[in-house]
Amino acid sequence: MIALTAEPLDLTAVAAAVGDPDHGGTASFVGTTRREGDLREVVELRFEAYEELARAELEAIRDEAETRFRARVAIAHRIGPVAVGEASVAVAASAGHRPAAFAACRYAIDELKVRAPIWKQAVYADGEARWLDGSAAPAPAGAGR
Amino acid sequence: MDGPITVTVRLFASLRDAAGADRVSLSLPAGTPVGAVWGHLPDGVRDVGLPNGARYALNHEWTLPGATLRDGDEVALVLPVSGG
Repeated sequence: MIALTAEPLDLTAVAAAVGDPDHGGTASFVGTTRREGDLREVVELRFEAYEELARAELEAIRDEAETRFRARVAIAHRIGPVAVGEASVAVAASAGHRPAAFAACRYAIDELKVRAPIWKQAVYADGEARWLDGSAAPAPAGAGR
Repeated sequence: MDGPITVTVRLFASLRDAAGADRVSLSLPAGTPVGAVWGHLPDGVRDVGLPNGARYALNHEWTLPGATLRDGDEVALVLPVSGG
């Protein structure tokens, strides 16, 4: 499963998508919108994707993780507004044993973070909104990790 | 000498906000490389600045700045990503 969706993520469905009777372990990662209350309070993140290429890139990452770790991998990412505390990304990976499941899950989320053409805009409690895309306005310290 | 070509430039995030549109159409000299598109964008977009680490896609596949544009191509400016 590769999904880019404006709907809340169905974490059960993401994990179920990697079910395999020959696999004894499933690892999952869920990324949620963080408030950053000790920096500058965030109330919402808005995600935008270059959908055609993002989908292709997520498929490539899945294929790499599945081949490298003999795993099955599913990735789902929200687009549009995501309130603090809600899931913005979910990855699940199953494999014969847990080391490969953990490794495949980590590979997929780490590669997604650096490769997938998806951007977040932080909307702050004071009403300002700022894209985290390397553009001129510096992001507040600690944002966008 | 070939005539000018028309390409579509896809814009995202801060560039899309600056343009007020998610794509712009440009008429360019034949043989223009992908990396030269930035200099042809409207002033309001270029005011954002092209961040270090920007990448390019051509017709929905990654490409390099030296790739030659052809009539009807769709090029995308991919700023440093922040998904997840």
